[in-house]
Amino acid sequence: MTKTRKTLNYILLVIVAFLILIPFFWMLSTALKTENETLHIPPLLLPAVPQFGNFARALTVAPFMRYFANTVIVAALVVSISSVITVLTAFAFARLKFIGSTVLFFVILSSMMVPQELLIITNFMTIANLGWMNTFRALVLPFGVNAFNIFLLRQTMRQIPEELYTATRVDGLSNFQYLRKVVLPITKPTILTTMLLSVIWTWNTFAWPNLITTRDEMRLITNGLSNAFTARAGNIQYELQMAAATLVVIPLILVFIVLRKQIFAGMSRAGIKG
Amino acid sequence: MLRFKLARQRGNMNMFAYLYLLPAFVLLGIFTIYPLINTIITSFRLDYRFLTGDFVRFSAQHYVDILRDPVFWRACINTAFIAFICVPASMAAAMGTATLLHSIKRLKGFFTTLYFLPEVTNIMAAGMVFALLFNNNFGLINMVLGWFGFDPVAWISGVGIAGSRELYMQAYLRCLFVLFVYSVWSGFSLQVILFLGALSRINPQYYQASSIDGVGRWKTFWKITFPLLSPTTLYVYITSAIIAFRAFAAIVALFGPTYGPLGDDSRMMITIVGYIMDSLGNYLSPGAVSMASAAAVVLLVIIMVLTALQMRLSKRWVHYS
Repeated sequence: MTKTRKTLNYILLVIVAFLILIPFFWMLSTALKTENETLHIPPLLLPAVPQFGNFARALTVAPFMRYFANTVIVAALVVSISSVITVLTAFAFARLKFIGSTVLFFVILSSMMVPQELLIITNFMTIANLGWMNTFRALVLPFGVNAFNIFLLRQTMRQIPEELYTATRVDGLSNFQYLRKVVLPITKPTILTTMLLSVIWTWNTFAWPNLITTRDEMRLITNGLSNAFTARAGNIQYELQMAAATLVVIPLILVFIVLRKQIFAGMSRAGIKG
Repeated sequence: MLRFKLARQRGNMNMFAYLYLLPAFVLLGIFTIYPLINTIITSFRLDYRFLTGDFVRFSAQHYVDILRDPVFWRACINTAFIAFICVPASMAAAMGTATLLHSIKRLKGFFTTLYFLPEVTNIMAAGMVFALLFNNNFGLINMVLGWFGFDPVAWISGVGIAGSRELYMQAYLRCLFVLFVYSVWSGFSLQVILFLGALSRINPQYYQASSIDGVGRWKTFWKITFPLLSPTTLYVYITSAIIAFRAFAAIVALFGPTYGPLGDDSRMMITIVGYIMDSLGNYLSPGAVSMASAAAVVLLVIIMVLTALQMRLSKRWVHYS
């Protein structure tokens, strides 16, 4: 590759990076402005003096700390419950032999196709009838089975050589011991990836919690953000809206940056199965 | 049958296997299989009352109702706009960027991480930021237009459009543009990573051969890279289209809970899921839940057709490559 071509590549990549970052820049810049600066015409690129106090003020607009805590609790519960289910189910489909395994696996795969929006209608009635409105149970249990994660982990588990299984069985280990002592350590990276994907997904979930939480103290962060700041134009305090948005966005970005290698490895593994 | 026989021969038919599956299938039964069946049935219950469970009789009337509802068609057009216009546009950008990214070594990880940021950004927060970027008075976009001497554009505004078809269309096109920019930005991230993964699996010998033959860069892309990427392209398109067909939170963030700019009362930017949610929010009026169910079944059929299409086409492609 010639030198000019190489330079051109970098220039193009920087331009793309710039376009990707514009919204983040405007979010941060607005979050640090005074109210007068946000209403300045023409708009100001940067605040004169960064107003870090906006973050503290944004937290008082709505109980964001509570929403934040709720989201962390729900994410932790979803991740732990669905991980146990994912491991057990993926293992059964990857290694155990039983009648109906093909049919049952097809059922799991098909459930990936069904849009959550279709299920929401009946699930809402189920939750209402059970008296589970505004409970963590209602926020967690419908997401206990993650077909995509089961599929991903089953593919990984199938790559473990069968001789290993036969050998451990000869040694007198039960299936469950084999799962715990051999399969889990080997597939740990994939399991971690599925956990991270669950966290990202829970952080962004919107429609379901919006429907089944009517009490403010049970809301999740996305719903809280939407309720506090999507009034129709005119009465939004933009610096507070953007400060709150920043606080919602930052934790996940940090998690991602720390664990990015893990996530990308899992993604490319999923991508093989095109 | 074959599986059954094999298992018997090996003598480790495992009844405990069902215990491993029990938790998954209990939850799946309650929260996926039962609702799926129930929603399909509900969509055929005429004037279903949510609170009492009463309905007049079974009928396909609510399907006729939604197909006659102009708001439903608006929802279909907007959703199709995301799936058939925005998704291909962001894929083209993602494929080009991934090709550039694949050809460099230094800073590759840095750029990849940076490009992935929109994927881990909360949809609601991102939508709000875009609404502010395109704000008529205080937005960055109009500010930059101003630098080049252009007048500010009322990107997200329906003020004064009532009664004028022409003004309505203009406001609608501007909102579609905002939706387009947002969709490309948010869809791009995951697509870049998937294309990059596919590029790294292409055998480098193809490129060595073409460089020995002195084939130009542009031609190499169209003759080698593009055809070899086609299974991934298909996979990326179908998964992105399925995500697009479920668009909802972003619309609320960009255009507000009434799916339209200030001054619009036609729910201009509503999507199919928005339509389902609206009907559902009306659950006390008879038939509203049936309407929501009917719209949801239509969505399920669309997604099933897309998935089936992907399975068929990808089989054919794998066969010929």
